[in-house]
Amino acid sequence: MRDTPKNLFMSALFGGRRGARPPAGNPTSIACVELMKSCGAFFPEAHLNPRAMADLAIAGHEIAGFDTVMPEFSVHQESAALGCQVDWGSPEKMPDALNAPHADFSDIVIPEAILEKPSLRTVLEAIALLRREAGDQVGIIGKVMGPWTLSYHLAGTQNFLLQVGLGETGKVTRMLRQLMPLTVAFANAQLRAGADAVVLADHATGNLVGPYHYRDLLLPLHREITAAIGGPIILHVCGNCLDRLELFADSGVDAYHFEWQVDAKAAVERIGSRVSLAGNVNNPRALLQGTPEEVYRQARYAIDAGVDIIGPECAIPLATPLENLQAIVEACREGY
Amino acid sequence: MEELNAIREAVIRGLHREIEARIGEATAAGVPLAAVMNDGLIAAMDEVGRRYGTGEIFVPEMLVAALTMKKGLDILKPLLASGGAAPVGTILMATVKGDLHDIGKNIVVMMLEGAGFRVIDLGVDVDAQKVIRGIEEEHPEILGFSSLLTTTMPEMGAIIAALSARGLRDRVRIMVGGAPLDAAYAARIGADGYGRDAVAAVEMARRFVER
Repeated sequence: MRDTPKNLFMSALFGGRRGARPPAGNPTSIACVELMKSCGAFFPEAHLNPRAMADLAIAGHEIAGFDTVMPEFSVHQESAALGCQVDWGSPEKMPDALNAPHADFSDIVIPEAILEKPSLRTVLEAIALLRREAGDQVGIIGKVMGPWTLSYHLAGTQNFLLQVGLGETGKVTRMLRQLMPLTVAFANAQLRAGADAVVLADHATGNLVGPYHYRDLLLPLHREITAAIGGPIILHVCGNCLDRLELFADSGVDAYHFEWQVDAKAAVERIGSRVSLAGNVNNPRALLQGTPEEVYRQARYAIDAGVDIIGPECAIPLATPLENLQAIVEACREGY
Repeated sequence: MEELNAIREAVIRGLHREIEARIGEATAAGVPLAAVMNDGLIAAMDEVGRRYGTGEIFVPEMLVAALTMKKGLDILKPLLASGGAAPVGTILMATVKGDLHDIGKNIVVMMLEGAGFRVIDLGVDVDAQKVIRGIEEEHPEILGFSSLLTTTMPEMGAIIAALSARGLRDRVRIMVGGAPLDAAYAARIGADGYGRDAVAAVEMARRFVER
């Protein structure tokens, strides 16, 4: 196999032949202020302008040295399209939703032309730009929010989890099912636009909800979603998910992107033969506050453990030093 | 006592529709109100916290238990007022500026109330000015900050620095929490303690007000 960034990423995604080194990949955002400065594309423009979004994404390859590019930096592109009021933030601040328009669990109707909404169209156009301008060089990763995350945004996180706790299964499932078609439609549109793979981010987060919530309420939907998406899927769920790794492997995804809290060796041992693994360099301690040496050591630990795609555990803090991000790439370049 | 067992069971299992009846049964049987509060509601929340800590239950169950406990407290409060049960201490709680994620802070607030503290919740997106006003008006013994986002972590240090400049730092013990934090960061910004979860926060608050 030729060791091009794209080949390394695609092969690792399916647990295929190994090249000379593991790929450095970013299923979630690696945008930080230093990276924005280096390419002249800043938040909040990079959330809503396809050119700025693509420029910031490609900087992750050209400047940080990653083998993939991923242009969706926030978790609010879909919620904005669904009627949430979103504060798009600044170079130092990630976007945030200011309201929860379906806190009363009223019916959510997905408009037929929802992919034309500005926040979604931007992502699709940015992916098309990346395909045209860098598709021959790097792996292009898209990203969609799953119905669980979208429910947090539309009903309010605490409110949604309270209904789960109250056993309001009918209400909860209805909301999840009403949102699911958007996840599928947006993922397939991203693949058509030129993404090589899509991240399914669905925050049935460890320490927040239990493995039994995932198994009973979300896993059946994830199976339907993965069956309906026509390309490679990387699942992203934060937190310590050691208690539900097998359930993720049962969901039909091709890879799981995980946090530092889950030991890389344990993850590889438990589900590494069924799905590829991506991650899991610690964000707050190593990437934000640590030294390049600490980041390097964590990345090497993941490589030695057998993690297929090496990268940060989650969207990185915006104040992350660029040299720390580059330490991940350096660890990968040393090979297996 | 059977009645207290029933109250604890109702809170732990989140039987919010039954808590009023259970408390009624206990008071009718002559169980002292202080026991209903301490050995019933508060003891139950301690057990809820323990079960969360061991991964037996998660936030959805905790929210329903807290809702049940709060319902119980609301029933007891007017009855206790005549008996003059003093709060264990006063705590000012806030999620710092730039951070709209308050679920963790809300759980800590509910657990602290369950543990008998008077809690003043300043809400989300709170800046130093609001905190200073809160300390001057409410005279809390403890200040609790949360930040869920790595981007808003530095705001905690900024608030502590503002309190020092104002000469208020030594009036309160400060505890911090939130997913991206750890004990080392808490020490670095000059907080008195870091709670990894709501249970740890309640334990720390109890320690802070021990005399």
